[in-house]
Amino acid sequence: MKAEELLGDLEAKLGKRGLDEVELYLKRGRSRRFEIGTHGRIAGTSEEEGWAVRASDERSSLFAAGTGGEPTLESWPAPDGRPLRLPAAQPISAWKSPADLDAPLLVDSEAISLLEAVESHLVREVPGGRLLRGVLEEGSSESELANSRGVSVGFRSRAAALYLEVAGPWRGSAGASFYLAEREARRFNPVALARQAANRLVLAHEGTAPDRDRGEMLLAPAVATQLLLALLPILVGPEGQDLARSLRDRSGRIGSPRLSVIDDGRYPGGVLEAPVDGEGCPTREVVLIEEGAFRQPLRSWRQASPPDRAVGCIRRRSWRDVPRIGCSHLYLRPAPQTPAADLLAAVARGYYLVDTTGGGQFDLQQDRFCLPVCGLVLRQGRADAPVGGAWLCGAVSSFLSGIQAVARDLLFVPGDGMIGSPTLLVTGLELRKDPG
Amino acid sequence: MLAVPFSGLDTKGIARSLSQVADQESDISDAFFERLEVVELPPAEADSGIRVRLETGLALRLVREGQTWLAVRDSVEPDSYTRALRQIARALPMAAYPEPSWEALPRGEVEGLDAIAEFPGAVTREIRQHHAAFPLQMTVRRHRRWIRIVGTQVVPDAQAEEFYSCLAEMPWGRFGAVLADLSEDSVERISQSLIALFRAREAPLAPSRRHLVVLGPAAAAVLLHEVVAHALEADTLVVGGRIEAAVGVRLGSDLLNVLDDPGSAPAGVRRTVDDEGMVVVRRWLLRGGRVDQPLADRFSAARSPALVPGAGRRGSRYLPPVPRSTHLELLPGENTVEELLGEARGGLYLAAASRGSLDPLSGRFTISLPYARRIGAKGAGDFVGPCRLEGTVSELLTAVKGIGDDSQSAGAGWCAKGGLKLPVWATTPSLRIEGVEVCG
Repeated sequence: MKAEELLGDLEAKLGKRGLDEVELYLKRGRSRRFEIGTHGRIAGTSEEEGWAVRASDERSSLFAAGTGGEPTLESWPAPDGRPLRLPAAQPISAWKSPADLDAPLLVDSEAISLLEAVESHLVREVPGGRLLRGVLEEGSSESELANSRGVSVGFRSRAAALYLEVAGPWRGSAGASFYLAEREARRFNPVALARQAANRLVLAHEGTAPDRDRGEMLLAPAVATQLLLALLPILVGPEGQDLARSLRDRSGRIGSPRLSVIDDGRYPGGVLEAPVDGEGCPTREVVLIEEGAFRQPLRSWRQASPPDRAVGCIRRRSWRDVPRIGCSHLYLRPAPQTPAADLLAAVARGYYLVDTTGGGQFDLQQDRFCLPVCGLVLRQGRADAPVGGAWLCGAVSSFLSGIQAVARDLLFVPGDGMIGSPTLLVTGLELRKDPG
Repeated sequence: MLAVPFSGLDTKGIARSLSQVADQESDISDAFFERLEVVELPPAEADSGIRVRLETGLALRLVREGQTWLAVRDSVEPDSYTRALRQIARALPMAAYPEPSWEALPRGEVEGLDAIAEFPGAVTREIRQHHAAFPLQMTVRRHRRWIRIVGTQVVPDAQAEEFYSCLAEMPWGRFGAVLADLSEDSVERISQSLIALFRAREAPLAPSRRHLVVLGPAAAAVLLHEVVAHALEADTLVVGGRIEAAVGVRLGSDLLNVLDDPGSAPAGVRRTVDDEGMVVVRRWLLRGGRVDQPLADRFSAARSPALVPGAGRRGSRYLPPVPRSTHLELLPGENTVEELLGEARGGLYLAAASRGSLDPLSGRFTISLPYARRIGAKGAGDFVGPCRLEGTVSELLTAVKGIGDDSQSAGAGWCAKGGLKLPVWATTPSLRIEGVEVCG
């Protein structure tokens, strides 16, 4: 292991300055990036190589990062701020590197075909529709980590990201954008993406919003994940406990018995699937909310008490960034026996909200939220009219306790980590014309 | 000025090797060398101490017939250059020049951190001078960037930038700013902004309706960046159709004379060439309220004879250049601030803006303001809470009825359009606008 070899030199160099806690992170990667848009077609190839060092004495610490295969600072800055503790080596349970990590990255023709397929299917769904910008990136990397407390690990990663900006044929109407991630770019389905884009454009253009209405709300994964994303302050970090306490009902639950939320750093096929976190601590599945009862927020080994409730949850966005606590694959547990179509068919009077149309407003302290959405009016399980320019509003606690049913169509979207949810049937929320 | 780390590059050899790749007359090919240094001092309460990031890398580009090939490396060595060159080449060259070679670049050395370390304390002392005190956690960053562009025909001078940014976190919200320096003026400006946020923390919301407003220079800078600079970028205009059709169109009040001039930006970020190596120009975006010269890079200019390059900016070496504003200037008017406020009695004074966005399809914009002040007989008075300005670009710019004589040069914030993160600068006076939609 290169990191382990270099660590010795680094410890000697920094040790002379009293910095005896030392960690070295090395990352090498290659990526391909394709874009079609107002700047024509762009095909890029990158080879990236970077390092990061954290070091601490008893009183203060430093973080340094740079390009290249090893630390190359002429002189190290003086540490300041708080001291840093590094984790000790822990046993890592068996983990088999996923086979698709070895699959080749996209080539130009595949990438451009995928983006063009999105556009051609969009035009088929919405004549005159346009793909204003499509960006497809795919990369793979190898990381190594070693520290002065005996951690020495290595792991590989792979991720693909797709950004789409689309517009309808109608003059002056707003466009729509999507950001998605998968482990392999070949998993993106251009037909499904084009349909999702077309739905957004048509519903936003043709749909209307009720002044104020309640009823059953069927939330597609694209909407439910945005609500889950807004709940991260409750679910990640030790401060979450206090926020969760304020949302408890009389029975001590924060949600309906259908609500179970999990974070799993080893989620099979997940974009962030890895045996260890950004500090070399083993990852595992951890239940944060179980059948409506709040179990614990995501806590690192520094924060967990007792320590066996800790989970490897320190994430590095890149070698450039200071590692910090974050979820990996955080998701609402699906119901494997329930197709989303069954939930839809069961709605007597309500709305099927298929997508969000912008950023929402969330206030966990005040227990309220508003999220711009589009979708369909449902009558006896059938679409009755389009809904656009509407806001889904209500109390955060009403959303959590109002989950009546959960489908099996779990879908992840990139947020702060990967956030996943299936379709949800919820009561107790309101659809409005404006966020009020 | 900062010492240039790229002085030892074999620029002739690089230019020769690029010319082998760019073998068609209309080809654009260049090499972009970059060194970045970011030093961050987080607040004392943060989990870790000082943070330093040093990056060195290169990007090679070939543009041919509307298509761009880009190859990027995280090192500046002849070997990595040669491999990247092979990746952008579309065919084997007819005759091979010798590969360029150069000595290893000097290593980065982080120095001069005292001013950064002292800044948060200076801000806190200044706040106390104004008889205020509140919990405040401040992160200060110094950003340094050196670039060298080598093209097939020109090898312009290397460029160096140094500026600062700060982020203050308070119980009632965050405040961020981009600063040209850490001078006493900057301390005073940040302190005043934080005190205003403190005083506005529990203020009532402004009623949502059309208002008469006066924007202070800092808010005017953000507004003009969104509704003039972004609206007149070649890659925005092309979404709506032919770029040439925009030239000469009346976009706003004839009081509006707006330029982009990277050559007159604050000293630490002043530029002679853009990120494509093209000489920067003093570009009239709006002259008397009419569109004069949209912002363009080489790619856009090659496709439209109406465009002049020189506004190409790269958010990072991993991405190709795009047309963006660097330093926006609104020529001052003849009104004093007192006159502007006097003509806006009953309206709102908007001193600062926190963010903005423009939808290029609908032409609608949103500017978020952390607070506002009611304009009374004695000028800016009672605070009101956070609000938004909304409307269409032409509606807003046509409603500009007065321009102040109080031009201020400052950072206009970070531009995040298209996923890039670029610091932007502005020299703007105050603006009086009649009948703009304010949402409380």
